[in-house]
Amino acid sequence: MLKKSMWYSVLAIACAGFIVLASGFYQAIIVTTMLSPQPSSEAPMTQTTEDSTLSSKNPNSVQLLILGDSVAKGTGDENSKGFSGYLPEYFKNNTSKEIIVDNAGIDGLESIGLLEQLQSQRLDKLIADSDIILVSIGGNDIRSILSLNTLAKEDEFKVRLDNYQSSLKLTFKELRNTNPNSIIIFLGLYNPYEKATSLEDARLLTTWNYNTQQLVEEDGKAIFIPTHDLLKFNVGKYIAQDGLHPNSAGYQALSNRISKSVETILTGL
Amino acid sequence: MFNLIENEVLKMISKKRLMFVLAILVVLISVFAYGQNHTAERTKAQLAQRMGISATADWRKLADQQLIDMKNRLDSPYRDEKDKSSLRVRIEQLQYNLDNNINPLEQSAAKFTTKFMEQSIFLFLPLLIIMLAADMVSGESSSGTIKLLLVRNVPRWKILLSKYLTLMILEIVVLFFAFVLSVIISGLFFGLGGWLAPVATGFKLVAGKLDTSAVLNVPQWRYTLMVYSLAYFVAVVVGSISFMISILVKSTAASIGIIMSTVVAGNFISYFLSDWKITRYMFMVNLRLTDYLSGSFQPIEGMTMLFSITVLLGWAVASILVSFVYFIKQDILV
Amino acid sequence: MPQTAVLELTNLRKKIKGKEIVKGVNLTLYPSQIYGFLGPNGAGKTTTIRMIVGLIKPTEGSVRICGYSVAHDFVKALSNVGCIIESPDMYKYLTGMENLLQFAAMNKTISQQRIKDVVEMVGLQHRVNDKVSTYSLGMRQRLGIAQAIIAKPKLLILDEPTNGLDPAGITEFRNLIRKLAYEEGMTVFVSSHLLLEIQQMCDIVSIIKQGSVIKTATVQEIIQHDDKIEWQINDPEKAIALLRDHWQIEATQLKMNTISAEIGQHPLDKLNEFFIREGLGLTYCTAKQNTLEDLFLGLTEGDQIV
Repeated sequence: MLKKSMWYSVLAIACAGFIVLASGFYQAIIVTTMLSPQPSSEAPMTQTTEDSTLSSKNPNSVQLLILGDSVAKGTGDENSKGFSGYLPEYFKNNTSKEIIVDNAGIDGLESIGLLEQLQSQRLDKLIADSDIILVSIGGNDIRSILSLNTLAKEDEFKVRLDNYQSSLKLTFKELRNTNPNSIIIFLGLYNPYEKATSLEDARLLTTWNYNTQQLVEEDGKAIFIPTHDLLKFNVGKYIAQDGLHPNSAGYQALSNRISKSVETILTGL
Repeated sequence: MFNLIENEVLKMISKKRLMFVLAILVVLISVFAYGQNHTAERTKAQLAQRMGISATADWRKLADQQLIDMKNRLDSPYRDEKDKSSLRVRIEQLQYNLDNNINPLEQSAAKFTTKFMEQSIFLFLPLLIIMLAADMVSGESSSGTIKLLLVRNVPRWKILLSKYLTLMILEIVVLFFAFVLSVIISGLFFGLGGWLAPVATGFKLVAGKLDTSAVLNVPQWRYTLMVYSLAYFVAVVVGSISFMISILVKSTAASIGIIMSTVVAGNFISYFLSDWKITRYMFMVNLRLTDYLSGSFQPIEGMTMLFSITVLLGWAVASILVSFVYFIKQDILV
Repeated sequence: MPQTAVLELTNLRKKIKGKEIVKGVNLTLYPSQIYGFLGPNGAGKTTTIRMIVGLIKPTEGSVRICGYSVAHDFVKALSNVGCIIESPDMYKYLTGMENLLQFAAMNKTISQQRIKDVVEMVGLQHRVNDKVSTYSLGMRQRLGIAQAIIAKPKLLILDEPTNGLDPAGITEFRNLIRKLAYEEGMTVFVSSHLLLEIQQMCDIVSIIKQGSVIKTATVQEIIQHDDKIEWQINDPEKAIALLRDHWQIEATQLKMNTISAEIGQHPLDKLNEFFIREGLGLTYCTAKQNTLEDLFLGLTEGDQIV
């Protein structure tokens, strides 16, 4: 009779289960196929209003555009300021003009993403109007290879670097097409995992930065600002709780260094 | 009909095959749960090493920071509406974690149970179902008992239908136990909670790209339910196909072999033949239905939830038709 | 007496892969008789039986059981049949009782009492709760019969039922079959390639060869008709001549001093008296009952089994 009772429990499970699973299946279909809650027409509308409000360049102002990844964005700053907050403060020492900052940084952006962002031409007006463009990109391109084993890492690194360099070249082309005159400040990569890094990894980072610098310097009006040297022994001081992004002090230190590099240019603007 | 199904279920219970399947489940779930536990601890240790702090203790600060960050980003005018809805979803999740004091790095029974099925749906679950289904008819053919069944005063289609319905019932039982066992076993490692946490879903493919504009949070229990329902659908489809093979091929070993190799091949067929469009009409390539829920699928042009479900349904219906026609017409020569 | 046929095969034919296995079998079975279905291996016995119970669809011809066509009224026709096809394959992982319950569940007319009765009838009451995998072949055969008769069928079909049984088992089995036919009123249809078995068990026998039934007759009839006598005498040539001249009996010389002849209706005592009177020196006389073997060999003489 044990089998008989097993049969009844099987039957009970099956009946209840079927009803529950059927409802779940229905929900799953609905959730993956339903229309988006916001009508898609909204997006282009905001864009048109944006376009109309954008004024042409004001000669009494210095326009700074910040492009790139989370570092550009200012992620990690406990005061939520980042470069957008600190750079104008340092720039004020060298110019009397009004400083206007636009930040288009996106967390997790890779070089190819930046290129797509530029190619979408949504930022063209801002680029055209800007005097200085700060770019921070590449960290996300290289970050994921850290977890690979040594053999695969070497190969993968080469692939990533090649891809990175080619999209960077195109990025510069895009920027120069829209604005041939602005100063481009390009931030190098630092190593937030200083404590847990092998010599081999350190070498890869140096190679990356070296190649990037060469590429950046090919553009006459661009400058490569290293960050690795500043942060190497100051990880505890300049890196935020998340162990990846600079903290407030870190952003300030970097902003200070950037402003020093462009002092003369700012005075001339 | 009811009697016939009872007969079939009793046979399945006596045959110990069901117990065997459940035993495999227990072993695998235990191993996975232990593995997950291990990995989670190692991740924590690594994080602690990198940052020089204990990640678990300070997760709140981190989450607070991320939250502020994302809220700022939400206000940024340079973002797509699409990105914004996924941001909103992320914010909701973090907020929930903070409000309920749940470290997002920690596992929970709910997360594990869902993850287990998501990872099982394309290979492990089909294999379990095959073990049950491939034997249903061929087992009787190879033991000769099919003769005893078919000389009763019951039409053949009823015999076959009772077997098919039994298979559908057993599929539910397998999923039920997969669920209960993963909850209990992972509960021992991670605690039983986590059923109300929000989970993001509602990803879509638009023009070959992942569209996140309709992303929304659903409670974990609902998400789990959807995952298991899709798993059941996959089980029914794989079951139907194995059922057909089990009728066409008289030996159990051969039918298990055929269908298993097909499913296993399906896992890399799309890798080798990705340019060949016909592969997307194969059932093996469409088994990862839960990926549509989690948005973790490879965006392939033309492959959507509805497409996959239609393809799978087509296979199931065709299999059932072939099964019945062949079974009713065939001469029993064993 | 007008009786409805229990089984009626009309011009039954079956082609498998272009080869005609059964070539137009006609057969009619009446109630409460034990029918033998005799033929060498490969003669088409099993194929015919499978067509009767609907496991194989005939290429041509029809099967009617108790008036119902198997092709069109499958359920009604099969309600009247119980059968064992070749070996009694049961579910080995179930007990004997569970096996019977499986089949009982498929037919609502079977009561718990009937199951008990059947188990007793086949003598399995002591082992019925053991797994079938522990059964001997004889016990499996009994269980096979139990499942076949559980629904009180009018027609019981047994395909090669004594395969693998030991002599004691065969005797027991034969008694059981007799009991079923004469006490339960079933018509039993037994196929076999073993001639002795059919001879001992059946009332009527049909002989099948290469897909065709070549003779149907009662076992009694065949045996009586074909009674053969052997004499051991001193002068066989003279005896043969005398038999031919006085009695119109064709005799043949078997060995040195032995002649043999079918004497038909002639009384044997008169013949023996005659031999002694003629001074042929009769030393030994035996009535050799003809077996189906002789008959079968006679009927299939010169033919190769295909």
